[in-house]
Amino acid sequence: MPDDFKNRVRVRLYKMFLELGRCPSSAEVAAALQCPVPEVAVAFRDLAAAHMLVLQPGSGEILMANPLSAVPTAFVVETHADTGPRSWYGNCIWDALGVIAMLQRGGQVLTSCGCCGESMTVSVDKGKVEAKPPGIVHFAIPARHWWDDIVFN
Amino acid sequence: MLIFRSEEHIEKWCRDWRLPRGATLSVEQAWKLADAWYRDRLSPDWRRRNVDEAHELFRSLGLTSEFWKLA
Repeated sequence: MPDDFKNRVRVRLYKMFLELGRCPSSAEVAAALQCPVPEVAVAFRDLAAAHMLVLQPGSGEILMANPLSAVPTAFVVETHADTGPRSWYGNCIWDALGVIAMLQRGGQVLTSCGCCGESMTVSVDKGKVEAKPPGIVHFAIPARHWWDDIVFN
Repeated sequence: MLIFRSEEHIEKWCRDWRLPRGATLSVEQAWKLADAWYRDRLSPDWRRRNVDEAHELFRSLGLTSEFWKLA
């Protein structure tokens, strides 16, 4: 499969994810690109093999279009847009902050302490970040093993 | 990657999961890493960083320990 088509699928996927406020299905991406669904499914698999997406193990639909999560997580991202507040799910605290970085606008991550569940909010405004209450980010898995089990990671 | 209220909460979580302690970043460091890693993700020209490029990004943020080596 040509890299150009896979890149078109990737770009359209992210565009639709942001416009819809949810992850589009392979059928929706195929309709948008006016191509057969199986071609998009193959592109999804190739992009996942290249660690550019993560797929759901049963359906083959998107699980992660990093930094965005297609399923609810404990990292809700609210961003400030001209059209009003929008919200997304990040895969982890790094990805949740990554959603704000990717969209290049202010926002906040609504999450909780990984240990005790205490509510925590991490806000980013004009490039300045603040956690309330103050927090520390922990990476449990060394970088070379991140893709061994990307869901746990 | 999770956020915790304190070092003590990280240590308890590691004990509960029977995992060795990993690497910790301040919230400011985590934001800088997220910004550097994801800022360009929507670009049509984006491509996945190779190992050397990822190491250079980590190095630019002071993340130079063995923990941050991808290979």
